[in-house]
Amino acid sequence: MINEVKTKRAFYMGLKYIVLVLLAYQLLYPVLYMISASIKDPLDSYDPSVIWIPKNFSATGFIDAFKSMKYLDALKGSMEISLGCAVLDVMSCALAGYGFARFKFPLKNLLFACVILTLMVPMQTIILPYYMNMRYFDPLGLISAFNSVFDKTISINLVGKNIAFYLPSLFGAGIRSGLYIYIFRQFFEGMDKALEESAHIDGCGPLRTFLKIMLPNARNAIVTVFLFSFVWHFNDYYLTKQLLGTNRRTLIVALSSLRIDLAALIGGQTAFDPIRIQTRIQAGCLLAIVPMFLLYMFAQRKLADSIEHIGIK
Amino acid sequence: MKKIPYYRKKMIYGFLFITPWLIGFILFFLTPFLQSCSYAFQTLTSTPEGMVGEWVGLENFRYALFRDTDFLVECANSLKDLITVPLILVYSICFALLLKKEYPGRTLMRAIAFLPVIIGSGVLMDILKQDVFATTAGGAGESMAIFSSTGLSGLFTAMGLPENIVNLINELISKIFDLTWRSGVQILLFLAGLHNIPDYVYEAAEIEGANALQVFFKITLPMLTPMILLNIVYSVIDIFSDFGNTIIQMIYNTAFASVRFGYSSALSILYFIMVGVVLILVYLMMSKVIVRPEN
Repeated sequence: MINEVKTKRAFYMGLKYIVLVLLAYQLLYPVLYMISASIKDPLDSYDPSVIWIPKNFSATGFIDAFKSMKYLDALKGSMEISLGCAVLDVMSCALAGYGFARFKFPLKNLLFACVILTLMVPMQTIILPYYMNMRYFDPLGLISAFNSVFDKTISINLVGKNIAFYLPSLFGAGIRSGLYIYIFRQFFEGMDKALEESAHIDGCGPLRTFLKIMLPNARNAIVTVFLFSFVWHFNDYYLTKQLLGTNRRTLIVALSSLRIDLAALIGGQTAFDPIRIQTRIQAGCLLAIVPMFLLYMFAQRKLADSIEHIGIK
Repeated sequence: MKKIPYYRKKMIYGFLFITPWLIGFILFFLTPFLQSCSYAFQTLTSTPEGMVGEWVGLENFRYALFRDTDFLVECANSLKDLITVPLILVYSICFALLLKKEYPGRTLMRAIAFLPVIIGSGVLMDILKQDVFATTAGGAGESMAIFSSTGLSGLFTAMGLPENIVNLINELISKIFDLTWRSGVQILLFLAGLHNIPDYVYEAAEIEGANALQVFFKITLPMLTPMILLNIVYSVIDIFSDFGNTIIQMIYNTAFASVRFGYSSALSILYFIMVGVVLILVYLMMSKVIVRPEN
């Protein structure tokens, strides 16, 4: 009897690990492929005995991709934008999330519906006027009013500057900010009210309560939102490409035009050889994900724990 | 000085807390959104002084719906992509269940499961789909057997399945990569949801003698319904605003390659309405089954 239970349990255990290995394989497959394809010498591609591990290694893929992506500049651009936006997103969305979670004010439900609406409208719907507003920055017509009163022609161009990304994040309107507000709201709603009540009795104002009591306890939510914001700003293409203009690029924007840039770098003949170009493109992909990948390797346990136990409903 | 009552003070404070967001909402969402709506009724031409618009009424919409040969076809194609949403849900619930309990290797598995969240940008996925999953060149094709559908379709035909069903299955298989690399956030949300179901519910079920299937269908699934709704909404939006989505590319190219800004805006408004209708339908269907746990 006991033996039967034991074999049954071992059987299920084995089944579980087989499923896990299969899942892990199909998730890691593209990454493994990238690594294998980028380090292999193009000659190996014609060799049917080479599947994963190449016989001849070659670094030309990396060197060419590195050059044509202008890697260091692009990396700097990516980092500046995603780090800055992540910090600002955490600040503005925590404030708004707390406001929606703990206070009653007129039109609250309508305003929260607006938060959800910002999530539902595809970026592409508003990207054109969004771009124009950044190109000729004119909040509520203040600049043009100033111009007409003082008879000047001031025009503020934010395109190509980091502030074009920081400003929306500062006001909780960056990439997918609605989701972060939602996360913070759910989180703060789940927290015990007794803490704030005792803070209030001790004469602590709402802002101080928020900064000294609620925020330090919201570590999981902060880590989650920071990670999401960082990752999504890092990986964004459409908005970043528009707002960065033509002179600056991020890694993802550089990656998107790698095929064309490579053609210019290595000359027409090779550029049309699918295998030669593939090595370099896979190397480019790998280079583009490496910063994220490293960051994730070092922080994954902490990050994943925070997200797993964030406690939102 | 008259003292402001406490509840009123709280009201003002609440408003102050959301003020930054409200400013951002008006400046960076509402303004461009309304502008985009107005562009849709104009023909815009770019001049050195900026954009000059000419009102054309509903002409842009009429063109999109009755004369543009591509738009409606692409819309239908996008709607067909929605078939992946239930698959994403099933896949991510199963994965989240696998990750819930402690066992050796769980941390590693969790790290792998979240990988698509970290590195799965639209651009990268697009390149991978072109290069890895449509490979004709060299040795790469060999290791692709698990993803290729030629082997399997022969098997299905041999089993006597009708051709259109085989084709449907093939299409699904080719979407496996898409599916698994799109499910990172969903797995994560389900996992967070699973940890929120209190232990005593499971203990009670065990004492009452419920088996694993009953526990899943009577406890886990109902308790996850709020997360399921969130995940459906997230997946739908994710699919509709994806880099590889042909309508998105069409809207983008109409604006920036063929410089027809007004028409592009009209297309994006129509597209948004379509997404909105889908989401409202989902919400109506889900709202009946959602379980709101009492505190």
